[in-house]
Amino acid sequence: MAEPSLRHLGRLALPGAAIGAFAGPAALVLALVAGQPADWALATGVALGLPLALLGGGFGLLMAAGVISPGVFAPTALYWLAGFPLARLAHEALVGLLLVGRPVLPPDPAGFLAYQAIVSLGFAIGFSWLYERIAPGWLRRIRHGNPRAERLYQFYLRHAEAQWKARESRRQARAAARAASGKGAS
Amino acid sequence: MDASSSPSPEPASSTSPPTATATATASDERVWRAGRLEPMPIRELPKAPPSVHLLGPTVFLVALGVGMGESYMWPRLVLIFGPEIRWLFLIGVTLQAFVMLEMARYAMATGESIFFGAARVFKPLMWFFFGTAILVYIWPGHLSTGAAAFEQVTGIPWTVTACVGLILVGVLFSLAKVIYPLLESLLGLLIGLLVVSTSIVASMVGRWADVTSTLSGMFHFGYLPGEAMSATWFPVIVGAIAFAGPSGMQQMWYTLHLRDSGAGMGAHIPQIRGLRHAGEQEAMPSRGFMFDTDDPEEMKKWKGWRRWVTFDALLLFWGITMLVTVSFTVLAQTAVRVNPDVGDLIREGDREVALTAMADAFASAGTPVLHGVFLGFIALIGLNATLGLFDSFSRGQADMTYHFVPGAKRFSMSKLYAGFLWGVITFGILILNFGPADGPGAILDVLAFLSTFAMGAYCVVLLLVNNRMLPKPIRPGILQNVVIGFGAVFYLGMLIYSLVRFGVVI
Repeated sequence: MAEPSLRHLGRLALPGAAIGAFAGPAALVLALVAGQPADWALATGVALGLPLALLGGGFGLLMAAGVISPGVFAPTALYWLAGFPLARLAHEALVGLLLVGRPVLPPDPAGFLAYQAIVSLGFAIGFSWLYERIAPGWLRRIRHGNPRAERLYQFYLRHAEAQWKARESRRQARAAARAASGKGAS
Repeated sequence: MDASSSPSPEPASSTSPPTATATATASDERVWRAGRLEPMPIRELPKAPPSVHLLGPTVFLVALGVGMGESYMWPRLVLIFGPEIRWLFLIGVTLQAFVMLEMARYAMATGESIFFGAARVFKPLMWFFFGTAILVYIWPGHLSTGAAAFEQVTGIPWTVTACVGLILVGVLFSLAKVIYPLLESLLGLLIGLLVVSTSIVASMVGRWADVTSTLSGMFHFGYLPGEAMSATWFPVIVGAIAFAGPSGMQQMWYTLHLRDSGAGMGAHIPQIRGLRHAGEQEAMPSRGFMFDTDDPEEMKKWKGWRRWVTFDALLLFWGITMLVTVSFTVLAQTAVRVNPDVGDLIREGDREVALTAMADAFASAGTPVLHGVFLGFIALIGLNATLGLFDSFSRGQADMTYHFVPGAKRFSMSKLYAGFLWGVITFGILILNFGPADGPGAILDVLAFLSTFAMGAYCVVLLLVNNRMLPKPIRPGILQNVVIGFGAVFYLGMLIYSLVRFGVVI
């Protein structure tokens, strides 16, 4: 298979990156509501949104490459178990860099990372939940001329078809049963 | 003769053949006879969905479960007794995970709700749950607490928010073409917000030391300080254990959601539609279905469904409940670290005072955002609870009415659902404006007692239904039976002990 172009890779990464980036505005709003100065809030939003967007994009690329299976939660949880603490560490360092001109690390980095790893489960659940709903529609738009997107899209399509067939057969079985009972009554 | 119109003259399944090869009717259709109600025709079990659909109906349960227990009751107990008290939470939430798996066993094997299963064992059991649901769940207390928190954040009077919220819930559910997808998306979004926001807040304000003490507190089995064994606190602790995860009748309603989402044999049952589309409602079968448990292929599919529900249950229910509650406890410990007097404040105050005290304590921690965030969560939880509880209540009551009240079948299930929904909304609005939202003070104890009693009772019902109404190959194992049996003794025992020793219920 030919190596995908940068444009194709960018498109494959977009849904995950968008979900990851969403954490940025969330942190920004949180900081503003907390009464933090606007520059501090902006710095924290950018510093958290950026690494999470990169990691979210990376997730999409790994899934497109077949490394992560679509819809399975365990690899997503493992990915964020490593990724979320690193993103938070980058967040702390970047905020320091943006505000005081040098990266600032938390006082107990090991404890900090361990704590963030626990919290990563929640983020992984939210991420997985959103990704499985956003990705199929997006892949449908970008699949033409993008073999990896096409392959992934076909997976979701097969699943949707199986669900649709099951629903249709139920509907037909019920219609047949109604018709039979109608005849019996007449 | 059609099997579905031929009530079984045979006694309960304990005397029936042990597997679903059960018996054949005059039309040669194979059926499974369970109890004295109509036998269940044998149909094909659909395949379990691929893992893409793993995030399924448990969303509802989580929506209902991640409520006051996680956000308020347990953090409050931790503030007073220390994190060591959380071992009781671990027991409560683990017990609920087992209950959930066993509820799903019956619902997925038959496409029937657990209420129907209870009626197959002994009809008055079902009527007990019908009456309890009305007595316990018509009071809009959960919404009023959320609306009160919303008032503190926005200044909008709580009665206005609560009434608008109630009407909004009714309109949304009545207009839905098919209720389930709407509810799934809506609650999924709200829960997603709650979980992601909690993760980010906890990630930014918590500390490793808080979480280690929270987690290690869960393994201090047997820790009960003297004060916990007092008339003031023991009933509160019993209530908090019962409210760890989905409480009251929420687990029973979960079986309706499983059925309506087409899990297992629920695939053969039509979905409930909103009132606006009630005319399109397919005929609701008068009983569920069973699959051929003698067929290895069918049993393979059954194992797939059990894996699906186990993952669903453990990941979403156990995982999220633990995450949210650990996060809130971390917040509570942050509050204590900054304001050591908060424990005394909470000891003295009632619910509202305690909520404000916790919010204030968070604010005084140097992170004023926590004041708004905490109250915002309480408001969101109130809305979530209202959406989930009103929908589930209406589904459950409509299900029992449709199948067991003579003459009710001339209305469609959707119309009955709408009737109960608007009934509870109308009552809610009247109570919010003219009466006590939590119910008349004089019967509050009775309602609390009934709610916890129902939990003990459904453990007993589960044991009876799953061990007597299902074919042998798909009955629960010894471990499941022992845990559910322990649940019955635990809930009923604590309740009765509280009543006898202290003369009070929760």
